Amino acid sequence: MMKLTDLLRFLLIALLATVALTARAQLSIEITGAGANRFPVAVAVMEGESQLPRSVTEVVRGDLERSGLFSLVEMGPRPMSEAMPPDFAYLRTRGADAIAVGTVVPAQSGKYEVRVRLYDTRQEAQLDALTLTMTPAQYRATGHKIADVIYERITGLKGVFSTQIAYVVKSGGQYKLQIADSDGANPQTALASNEPIISPSWSPDGGRLAYVSFEAKKPVVYVHTLASGLRSVAANFKGSNSAPAWSPDGSRLAVVLTKDGLSQLYTVNPDGSGVTRLATSSSIDTEPAFSHDGQWIYFTSDRGGSPQIYRIATAGGRAERVTFEGSYNVTPRPSPDGQTMTYIARTGNGFQVAIMDVATRQFAVLTDTGRDESPSFAPNSRMILYATEIGGRGVLAAVSSDGRIKQRLSVQAADVREPAWGPLPR
Amino acid sequence: MMRPAPWIALLAAVLTWPAHAGLFDDAEARKEIIRIRDEHTARIEALEASSRASLQLANQIEAMKAEVAKLRGDVELMMHDMESVKKRQQDFYVDLDARLRKLETGGAGPSAQIDPAAESRDYESALNLLKGGKYAEAATAFDAFIAAYAGSSFLPSAHFWAGSAALQAKDIARATQHFNTVVNQWPQDARAPDALLGVANCQRAMGERRLEQNTLKAVISQYPDSAAAKSAKQRLGN
Amino acid sequence: MRYPLAASMLALALLAGCSSTPMSSDQGASVEDRSAGAGTIPTVRPDQPQGAGLAALRDPNNILSKRAIMFDYDSFTIRGQYMPLIEAHGRFLAANPQMKMLIQGSADERGSREYNLALGQKRSDAVKKALMLLGAKEGQIESVSLGEEKPQCTERTEACYAENRRGEMLYAGEF
Repeated sequence: MMKLTDLLRFLLIALLATVALTARAQLSIEITGAGANRFPVAVAVMEGESQLPRSVTEVVRGDLERSGLFSLVEMGPRPMSEAMPPDFAYLRTRGADAIAVGTVVPAQSGKYEVRVRLYDTRQEAQLDALTLTMTPAQYRATGHKIADVIYERITGLKGVFSTQIAYVVKSGGQYKLQIADSDGANPQTALASNEPIISPSWSPDGGRLAYVSFEAKKPVVYVHTLASGLRSVAANFKGSNSAPAWSPDGSRLAVVLTKDGLSQLYTVNPDGSGVTRLATSSSIDTEPAFSHDGQWIYFTSDRGGSPQIYRIATAGGRAERVTFEGSYNVTPRPSPDGQTMTYIARTGNGFQVAIMDVATRQFAVLTDTGRDESPSFAPNSRMILYATEIGGRGVLAAVSSDGRIKQRLSVQAADVREPAWGPLPR
Repeated sequence: MMRPAPWIALLAAVLTWPAHAGLFDDAEARKEIIRIRDEHTARIEALEASSRASLQLANQIEAMKAEVAKLRGDVELMMHDMESVKKRQQDFYVDLDARLRKLETGGAGPSAQIDPAAESRDYESALNLLKGGKYAEAATAFDAFIAAYAGSSFLPSAHFWAGSAALQAKDIARATQHFNTVVNQWPQDARAPDALLGVANCQRAMGERRLEQNTLKAVISQYPDSAAAKSAKQRLGN
Repeated sequence: MRYPLAASMLALALLAGCSSTPMSSDQGASVEDRSAGAGTIPTVRPDQPQGAGLAALRDPNNILSKRAIMFDYDSFTIRGQYMPLIEAHGRFLAANPQMKMLIQGSADERGSREYNLALGQKRSDAVKKALMLLGAKEGQIESVSLGEEKPQCTERTEACYAENRRGEMLYAGEF
């Protein structure tokens, strides 16, 4: 019989173990390749930041560094105030082309005001200024917001540090559909199941996820409202239901159903009503994805004897073949800016993420891994998140659309797969 | 579909035979049972054969569908290749045409696509400046024309008029350069004799009488039948 | 470079009550308040349906206890060796019209999950068609796919891949 103190000690150890496990269950990001010309930027420690339990500056620096587009100029621990213009001549000698300075001041009811200014050190001009009000717990969101502004001012592209990603973690026999910040922080489980979950797809407003769950011993498409946890069945017809993809306006879902025989393309309303057949073929048609303007649906079909990418006008018409090189091209995902399409190509090295220019049909393989799956564009079309395998374990990785910047996101002791990059926050 | 019920009923009837003695005699009943059993076996065999045949047929259809798909894929690839070849051939033609055009116009400059309407318009407007007596402007306009239409067939004339305008504007060095360009690059052009005469005029403007006389002699020897040779003879005679 | 990011499980929960006052209004640079509700995403756990077995189909000496049909690579035709098995189940379904069957098709793990789901469906459909030719009724059978999600064999060998290219016949109560 266990003594009470022993029992308490046991419980405490068990509790600590759980905490440690949760901590390790977070995605960690590793940069495995960076851009050739990184923009030198300095982010000074914000004045008054020591009042906060966690550093906002560190979040900003981490975001910029991980993006692979910036090199951070070391500024030392001395805080720099937003109230005074920085010493531009000195900054130029340090090699910084831009600098962000900030001040944190207490505001009412336990909140803090963060004022940030971004300067161009060569023009000696202010590029931007912003003021944010935050609770101490919001230090990450605040940092991401600041990093987004710096990123956009300097690159001309929208920053994606404030976005979220969805992915599936498999550990033991458990499947978890998780949502995390784009840097892997704050992972939360939206669905936990003993049966597989695949193909998560974000609604354009970021409020809902469509996905395929096998909890009914067959693939069924659900639409899950993240805030409430309420789910509804979007497609559960006789046979298999899979591959949901939202239309750009969020009003329709393209799905693959087998109710009439082979896997074929249909569209439905997100509540499951209004089923319409999109195309008819005597072969497999699957993995639909809308183009950014909603004019086209790209999909995978084996109508030509091997899986290849085709596209069909949303209004109907003949399917047009898009890929011609190689015997296996699948999972087309048009970029949000409409310029390119990413997909998975089987090459001599296995299955790899490729990118194609939509206008010229020129393509290039972007990765050096050989078991790539499920590519997903960041909302600024600059990075592609995908699943791959390293050391026999599923990990997520990201590659820039020019193939230069490479990142790896992994969770200890678990398989991570089926990533989907969420939209820009509204 | 096979329904075993009737013959089971019969079998039951046979098994309960003693209770119904007198309905059939023994031998007759046995014969009937054997007949029904044989018929049943035959029907089952026929059915199995037919369903096997159907399955084989289904498999064959599946194999043929795969075959058709592969052929379709081949057709798609061939269509794509043909499109690519067509496009490449067109690119080749455009490139060849541009190169030929460059050769035909004798230009050595880059073979930019020339808009003939703009070409004529710009040439005319420069010439009008010259006719209007705006010599410096005309010289500049012709220089601009020469830079803009490197492959133009008006180039020899443009250089000639540029030289004439520069000479009138007292920019002797520039005028000499333009006249020499005509004489050296297009010695067979209709403007070449006048250009060489222009070179002589430039030399005269600089007071180089000896050089002028040599040039005038060259006009007469190189272009003996030209109007320029006639005026050269007159000037040498004076 | 490695960034071990500290866990902050409660951070989003505390995000509620965030407000912002952008200095440059064209930027709209406010801290995103992902709404109070989004702060804590509730975890949904679906029920697990449990069915009773059917003893008659579990006699190991009966051919009906065999349920799996393997397929060749990139093939969707039923090999000759499985004809007796298909015939037995087809006749069983014909003779027992009240019986219902779920056929789960599978694919090996190579390539896209969704394309593999379609390949598994093609295999389960092939089994369904064969059973219907043998007298089973359309209403008795549902053919679905598990794609590469429920492999029988998890090694990366050709033998294992072959094992996973299958159609599995399950009677009502067994799934």
